[in-house]
Amino acid sequence: MFNQLMQKGRRLAGIGSVVAALGLAAPVMAQDKDPIVFGGSIPLSGVFAFAGIHLHAGLTDYTNWLNDQGGINGHPVEYIMEDTAYEVDRSVAAFKKISGNENLATYYGDSTGFMKAIASEVNEMNSVLMSGASFATALTNNETYPYQFIPGPNYTQMFGIILEYIASQGEDGDMPTVAFVYSDTEFGKDPIENGKARAAELGIEVVEEIVTKPGSVDVSAEVLKMRRARPDYVVFHGYILSPINEFMVQMRQMGLDTQFMGTFWSSDKLIIDKMGEDADGYMGVMPYNYYDSEESGPMLDALRAQAEKSDPEAGYRPTGYMQGWFNAMVWTEVVKRTLDAGKELTGENMAEALASIEDWDTGGIIGIPVTVKDMSFPVGRIWRVNASEGRYEPVSDWIHLD
Amino acid sequence: MDWLFFGEISLAGLAMGGLYALIALGFVIIYKATRVINFAIGEIMMFAAYLFLAFAGGMEMSPWVAVPLAVLGGALLGGVIEKTMIRPMLGESPISVVMVTIGIASILVGLVELIWTADPQLLPSFLPRTPVFIGEMYLAPKIAYGFLIGMAMLILYLLYFRFSRGGVALRATASDQAAAYSMGINVRRVFNLAWVFGSLAASLAGILVAATGGLSPQFGIIGLSVLVVVIVGGLDSILGALVAGVFIGWLETVAGAYLGGEYRMPATFAVLAVILVFKPYGLFGTHEIERV
Repeated sequence: MFNQLMQKGRRLAGIGSVVAALGLAAPVMAQDKDPIVFGGSIPLSGVFAFAGIHLHAGLTDYTNWLNDQGGINGHPVEYIMEDTAYEVDRSVAAFKKISGNENLATYYGDSTGFMKAIASEVNEMNSVLMSGASFATALTNNETYPYQFIPGPNYTQMFGIILEYIASQGEDGDMPTVAFVYSDTEFGKDPIENGKARAAELGIEVVEEIVTKPGSVDVSAEVLKMRRARPDYVVFHGYILSPINEFMVQMRQMGLDTQFMGTFWSSDKLIIDKMGEDADGYMGVMPYNYYDSEESGPMLDALRAQAEKSDPEAGYRPTGYMQGWFNAMVWTEVVKRTLDAGKELTGENMAEALASIEDWDTGGIIGIPVTVKDMSFPVGRIWRVNASEGRYEPVSDWIHLD
Repeated sequence: MDWLFFGEISLAGLAMGGLYALIALGFVIIYKATRVINFAIGEIMMFAAYLFLAFAGGMEMSPWVAVPLAVLGGALLGGVIEKTMIRPMLGESPISVVMVTIGIASILVGLVELIWTADPQLLPSFLPRTPVFIGEMYLAPKIAYGFLIGMAMLILYLLYFRFSRGGVALRATASDQAAAYSMGINVRRVFNLAWVFGSLAASLAGILVAATGGLSPQFGIIGLSVLVVVIVGGLDSILGALVAGVFIGWLETVAGAYLGGEYRMPATFAVLAVILVFKPYGLFGTHEIERV
């Protein structure tokens, strides 16, 4: 019984993942060049563990796959991480330890707080390029965070994509109205001001703005405000699951025909698995193709094959897995471009290589060629839950913000 | 002013307050009888809610079986905690005992993550989904029915403490342990009973709150809101727990609706600060006089 439970909880991280994480897994290819080290502060426990386990699996599987392909220009790649429990001080300690012991090239940060806290040190070191779980708008400020990037659109850009979609649903003179619901956290507040400005530019009226505590909260009173505002769309940000379900269920009980949308961390299959039929019609913005989408491409197929190989019983891989894989893909591309240019792997050179990415074919991970802008990939697509099929289906083309 | 809106908001707040009162009751029963401030109350609630998830979700039992089983499981957990971890601390410094309860909270979170993973969860729907209208005022059905179940439990508790032998023993021990002991009351058993009853109330409240707001290993943080309730009401006052629970629930909701969600906690902690200045033992708490 206990073993079954353990398998269920940790299967996706995988025993192989742990071995790789400890840096003990020798690359399959016989390579005599110095290894290139991917480091990571990974939240395998704590409040973000639900995603951290999958991020870690994505990073591990990609690294193993890459080494099977011969590494980067003949350099084997090592992925070395520590569990941080999603605590900034532990993330900082992990970074110091890994960067002190290893010849670190790139690093996965587990939170916006960590990415901000470590920025001055990363800038001073000028030897590491960092990305991670955060899509914070602030991190795309190249002056303050020159060696950090976002592996997708930042939260403001996600709101931009959502609002463009909403605007496209309006007919002449009858633009839909929208309400923003966000958590009372730095994460939740991130895109709100910019989102309101963008909505005004598009002629979309923001009829209500609701702040809640994150996680398990009663939102009956907030739903009452929605009953009066009657928005055509509600955009959630800063949540994983609750209280999105309560807003949707209660607003529908009141007879409102509002449509519901969310950003990256609110758009995983978890919503479908936990809400069931109630999730039907929910929409999310996602920069990557879902694991179980009908899309394909050489890299997406490789991802699916590697995921299957590392844990045949895992089945569907969440968006965190895709995000971890894509992070490492970008690191690889950046390191390769830097080495190909005959340059050292400094923060500055790698940031320059990142900025040079234009019309990059990600092999199906993202459905269109992508171009880096302000250290981010401002691209995404709107997907809608088909509850009877148990998955998200695309309802828009890929939107690449200028 | 939109009085209908104010009425609806107040109703939602009072209903949530009823659940706070139930949790606070669990907290106060334990403190009153044993003088232990139980910082693990939120995690006991969480554990019971996960038990319900396992029974009703995983094992697909009827909610009418799963709820009592989960509540009894939570009560049993309270009893085991008392017997194995709190009783050996008898006579130790109160800070040490508090630290033990904080440790228990941490263990329960770890246990839940190990068994049910860290994924956020939703409980299987077991309360009616038809909107409830009181006059023209709308009340979310989960809150309305949760409140009714919580109130029924509260009334049962009050009757038990007033009229049963166990209730009288508990009250006697709470008022004077030495006197109760000399009158032949098995004080150790009463301590255990207090943890069982306290955890039972908290467990039911945990399931009802989780049915409304969802469940995750961080669910126990709700214990912080309840700490405000019991300090405002008085740590050792059942009446205080009921009054303060309903009041804090109402205040949180009204502050959230009119000032914004970010003002929910500041509003309640502001009340806490004011109460502590003027009534350091809470609204209905016992003012202890120590003579040296």
